[in-house]
Amino acid sequence: MVRVKHRYLLVNILYPELLKAGRESSAKLPDAVTFHQPTTSGLNSRGLEKAIKHGVEELFGDYGYGAIRGSLQVKYLSTATSTFIIKVARDHYRMVWTALSFMTKVPGVHDAKPCVFRVIRVSGTIRESQEEAIRRAREQILAAQREQGEKSDLTLAGIFGPPGTKKDDVMMVDKGDGEEEGSNEG
Amino acid sequence: MLYDLNIPWTCSTDPLELQRTISFLSSLGYDTIALNHIMSTVPSQIVNPIPSPLPFTIPPNTTILRRCTLQIEDPSLNYRLPALAAAYDVLALRPKNEKGYDAACVSLLEHSIISLDLTQRFPFYFRPKKLMAAINRGCKIELCYSQAVMGDAAERRHFISNTLEIMRATKGRGLLISSEATSVLGVRAPADVVNLFSVWGLSRDRGMEGISINARGVVVNEGLKRSSYRGVVDVIYGGEPRALEPAESNKKKAIEGQKKRKADDTGEITSQPSKRAQKKAKHAAKQAGIGNGMSQKTTPGDSTPVEGIPSLVVTKDNTLIPTINTNG
Repeated sequence: MVRVKHRYLLVNILYPELLKAGRESSAKLPDAVTFHQPTTSGLNSRGLEKAIKHGVEELFGDYGYGAIRGSLQVKYLSTATSTFIIKVARDHYRMVWTALSFMTKVPGVHDAKPCVFRVIRVSGTIRESQEEAIRRAREQILAAQREQGEKSDLTLAGIFGPPGTKKDDVMMVDKGDGEEEGSNEG
Repeated sequence: MLYDLNIPWTCSTDPLELQRTISFLSSLGYDTIALNHIMSTVPSQIVNPIPSPLPFTIPPNTTILRRCTLQIEDPSLNYRLPALAAAYDVLALRPKNEKGYDAACVSLLEHSIISLDLTQRFPFYFRPKKLMAAINRGCKIELCYSQAVMGDAAERRHFISNTLEIMRATKGRGLLISSEATSVLGVRAPADVVNLFSVWGLSRDRGMEGISINARGVVVNEGLKRSSYRGVVDVIYGGEPRALEPAESNKKKAIEGQKKRKADDTGEITSQPSKRAQKKAKHAAKQAGIGNGMSQKTTPGDSTPVEGIPSLVVTKDNTLIPTINTNG
């Protein structure tokens, strides 16, 4: 009996849109901060799961819905950092990812803010996702401080090391995903 | 290096929104962004309306390019593409019908991107022959994912069907992936974009190529076309110009004077029969000698003496001496 393999998607909710009301006030905040706003607490894991399933059904029909229904699970949801981790069967995680790319609103919330879902890591174990999430959160703080022009970040950078190169972060999702992917497709 | 070569720009674009979009793209990892001005007709006076530099601060390590997309319908009209290309950093064409599409693929030369509005149904097929003709001479076919992400169901269907057809015709070669995001919400992270296209059947490598290598090719080529001599030779660094001291400049003048005299000398020399003429005559003489069954010696510098026939010898001081060769 072969173990069922899964993928864990680490996803960030980003808010790139300018706030209509607070144009002046938001101008003071660095962009790195406003992109990573906290999500409304109205979002819960059940609503999120439902929205993803609905998105998959819209894009891939009954086949897609059936393929992911059994395995899709929200493992972690933090509205304060706008981060969540979902678990899905390895064969079908691309459909879930696509559905996330097509979502433009916080699901399950009345009068929701427009947002963008960005998958920042695909990994085979939840532990890797968790470590990556922690690393990201740390770097966001540093980036925000750098943008603000604070000198205090030097001490933090001394503790956590210099900021990683951007290039590694951008396509991070492809790491650790390669060899299994090859056997899967080839 | 990641590129997004299509952020629509109009005269009424809110600079705050634009700044936000650029900042968001930069935070997602894109570092070269082209602002796209879409035109349906060529104005009589071609001026680039996109301000450069932009009136707000852009994130560090971000390059902003100015691109023009011209909608073409009838290729027999004069669109003045060279003048357009000179005013913008990148020139793209958006064919509106089959005629325009054929012209953009085969006959027009100035553009480097063929950008199609994939949310509509095209009354023709994308044939490999034409698309590959365009790609083989350096054009890229642009796919704008925001048309699908922000569009409704019908637009999305058309987009997917057109994209699949283009990918089938080109086998994934020569594609350029950009956003064409009318609002900042239409922008997606590079990894998301690559995944989106891989679901639709474009391999991951090809997808990555579309936002990095192919896009870079467009930018570099367009830059070369504008800065270099006929798109072939470009001076990257010509060295510092040397400051001349007065004494040195006098010396230089003297050298120049000498050079002039030398040039005159060579002019005199050319009045002598050219080497080619000498050779020709020599060859003729040889032939004659063979014809007579006799071997003949000719010394270099001599002008072709033929046996028994008076000939003219040119001496160094440019006078002609009649001689009679007796072949002694």
